[in-house]
Amino acid sequence: MNKMKLLAEWEYEPVKIQRGYAGRTLYVNVGGFSFKEKPVSEDMKEKFIGGRGFGLKLLWDAVKDTTKWNDPENELVISGGPLCGITQYPGSGKCYTVFISPLTEQTYDSNAGGHFGPLLKFSGWDALEIQGKADRDVIVFIDGDNNKVEIYESPFEDVNAFTVTEALHEYFAENEEDKRNISVVSTGKGAENSYWGCLNMSFYDLRRKAPRLKQAGRGGGGTVFRNKKLAAIVVRKRGIGPTSNNPADLSTLQKVGLKLHKEIRDLDDQQNKMRKVGTPHLNEIMNEYHLLPVHNYKFGQHPEADKIHSEVFGKLFTQGIPDGCWHGCSMACAKAVDGFELKTGPLKGKKVTVDGPEYETCAGLGSNIGIFDPEWIIEANFYADHYGIDTISSGTGFAFVCECYELGFLNKDITNGLELKFGSKDDLMELIHRIGRGDDEFARIVGLGVHRMKKIFAEKYGAPFEVMEKIGMEGQGIEVSEYVPKESVAQWGGYFLTLKGPQHDEAWLIFMDRINKQLPTFEDKAEALHYFPNFRLWFSLVGVCKLPWNDIEPADNVIKYKGIEAAKVPEHVQNYVDLFNAVTGKNITKEELIIQSEQVYNFQRVFQLRLGKGTRKDHYIPLRAIGPVFPDEWEARAEYYDNELKATGIDPEGLTTEEKIKKLQEYRLPQWEQLVDAVYKRRGWNKNGIPTIETLERLGIDYPEVVEVVKKHLKPEDEWEE
Amino acid sequence: MIKVNGEEMQWRPGLTVKDILEAKRYIFPMIGVWINDKPIPRDKFETTIVNDGDDVKVIHMICGG
Amino acid sequence: MKWLATYPERCVGCESCMLTCSKTWFKEENKELSRIKVLQKDSGYEINVCNQCGICIDICPTLALNRDASGVVRCDENKCVGCLMCAGFCPTESMFIADQKDKPFKCIACGICSKECPSQALELMQD
Repeated sequence: MNKMKLLAEWEYEPVKIQRGYAGRTLYVNVGGFSFKEKPVSEDMKEKFIGGRGFGLKLLWDAVKDTTKWNDPENELVISGGPLCGITQYPGSGKCYTVFISPLTEQTYDSNAGGHFGPLLKFSGWDALEIQGKADRDVIVFIDGDNNKVEIYESPFEDVNAFTVTEALHEYFAENEEDKRNISVVSTGKGAENSYWGCLNMSFYDLRRKAPRLKQAGRGGGGTVFRNKKLAAIVVRKRGIGPTSNNPADLSTLQKVGLKLHKEIRDLDDQQNKMRKVGTPHLNEIMNEYHLLPVHNYKFGQHPEADKIHSEVFGKLFTQGIPDGCWHGCSMACAKAVDGFELKTGPLKGKKVTVDGPEYETCAGLGSNIGIFDPEWIIEANFYADHYGIDTISSGTGFAFVCECYELGFLNKDITNGLELKFGSKDDLMELIHRIGRGDDEFARIVGLGVHRMKKIFAEKYGAPFEVMEKIGMEGQGIEVSEYVPKESVAQWGGYFLTLKGPQHDEAWLIFMDRINKQLPTFEDKAEALHYFPNFRLWFSLVGVCKLPWNDIEPADNVIKYKGIEAAKVPEHVQNYVDLFNAVTGKNITKEELIIQSEQVYNFQRVFQLRLGKGTRKDHYIPLRAIGPVFPDEWEARAEYYDNELKATGIDPEGLTTEEKIKKLQEYRLPQWEQLVDAVYKRRGWNKNGIPTIETLERLGIDYPEVVEVVKKHLKPEDEWEE
Repeated sequence: MIKVNGEEMQWRPGLTVKDILEAKRYIFPMIGVWINDKPIPRDKFETTIVNDGDDVKVIHMICGG
Repeated sequence: MKWLATYPERCVGCESCMLTCSKTWFKEENKELSRIKVLQKDSGYEINVCNQCGICIDICPTLALNRDASGVVRCDENKCVGCLMCAGFCPTESMFIADQKDKPFKCIACGICSKECPSQALELMQD
């Protein structure tokens, strides 16, 4: 690669990390090439903790109430958090991206593994804030060894992820050995051409001698990235070690980490087999429990699902490599297929290493679009990453397109020659390439997401909007993340009563609710929809991964703890309390951990409100998410659904399937409303889903500008009756 | 008759916890089983006999994501 | 391959191996810092020391663990990031940690302890 043209540079003073914090954040404006250092106050640490909390705080200060995703003042903030970068505990290298999303037009946050978060912090920055729009493609380079930030003109004609990442690891490393000290953030052409842009964050795989990509997949962060004309952000920091994060108490980190390594060693093979197959261990489980999305969530099971069984992927993944996406992750779920020869597209014939697929990719770019071919899924996964397209949103989006096609709402004239039926492998692969290339109008419409497709299909092609409203699996503008929620009332909330739309990072309550029957009342469901979203949000504040929380559990967890307590995995909750205290030198309890999350949860809710969303009407749910819409869905589980109807006191005898579907919907829709009420009450929100002033005060986030936003929207009729 | 997560299930002599899991197709590995509020270790599922009238709880831990 | 053979039935529990080990490699007599551990059990003594099996080599994410020319598994301190996966996954739990040390440590088959042992419970082997 030729020497890149330097456009701007800025030098900064080095700092020593103190107890997990650099104590300052980095602001870069790629529009005017300006740089700034911002101090992190004690209040910011107390109220926003780090990671996503810092991202939201910085974004709040940067935007106006009217800012749109493609305005220059929208930002992309990347932040790790105080635990990010510790090497002793599995899953401690996560960072969080925060931005106003093109899909949801409100704040979004999406996390990724890889080495970017740790290396950014150890370069001296708790967060990186990118604002403005460049006039040409640029590369931002944070040189943590020489304490400099540089902006280069991008030399890449092809901004797709693998090309850019490989070249930049090469360019910024002095030799092969040095490549491990680099991490690249990139996306691809698909992110430009759609709203599904993901961000790829790299780490250098020392054994494969190739960079690996981990995705902050959701919400369109990659689209914002390309809108700013970023080709890549690169960080380089050498000499990372056990105490780079300068924890208050190293010994506790070592003891807690070692304990979990041993648990994983002893139990993972009997539990989720994460080390062998990663998250695809869920493929057959979801199918067995009718939760694997098939044909746009019409069904939860498919006879061909055994073709995508985790054992099949286990054989395709290279075994025996420490597949952690950050040092010390013995969970090792970052599986990869090596030497995969691409059969289509611009890199046809090339042998590549493919990251994943994860469960959600197998389901999204697999069962949900009627494809049960592992090789196809791997190829689709590769190109989605390469073009910078979220595999989850595109999976659910394509599933919607296929159903519309099969319903006759679309045809080959509209799709420019593609036959987009479920299972149309070649034509669906071509659709991915068309989004990657950006040369096809229909592909561009698809890439705007289900929410916009509904409107455009109706206006442009005359498709019936009301049918599409029922079957379009999206909420708040973003696509559902590949678990069938129909039969669990609590999971309706787990998906649709969320801060940013149906993403499973808040709560996964289907077993607890539906199989275990542990949440019989709306109050029980509301309690779970308070605790779990807040507990899980905490990972995003400190920079750790969710998986080592409950994808492994102590051998005696279900003996020692009963009921919902067991599902919390109390010993692992204590691990996180201990880790937080050991790094920061503070002394929080597990109850205070939840309050830390609540502060940010409610702040983000108010932020959505400030941007014109964040009320009850934004918490809508499609009918497909609460039960069957078409007769074939009912008839696939006729006995089950007839019993469901009977349980509500309706005799299904003599009713047509259409009538049964209607009756069940009439029963379930009021249940949804009851759930919304119960959850809002538990969260300390009013009837319209707005945090009350008392809630803001209780959490200490009653900053004048926050209170002002809320006050504008509070109405007496939205108060709860005593 | 026994109860499994509140629902009635046919009982037969010699019925084990493992038999119940198979009949119900509960294939998830992260399961906790309680019989009349007494926890049963996972490695005893095959050998634990369920008696007529027992109240069995098969608790699936959270998964997904 | 060089490795340290142990004969726990001959061990008298004098702990001189531990003291000499820590003195040799960490310059202080401190059992916590020994790369060989003698534990008293009901039935006698148990000696825990690395058998150079090398399972940890494939566990290490940073390629810090390697076999040297004489087959001994050694840790490159410059590459080790102290993640402790090697310690967690060692089948005999012979990779040790100590409060004062940010990186794990193990027996490198130097044989000094076997010379100090008064009861011939330790023997440096070469095969």
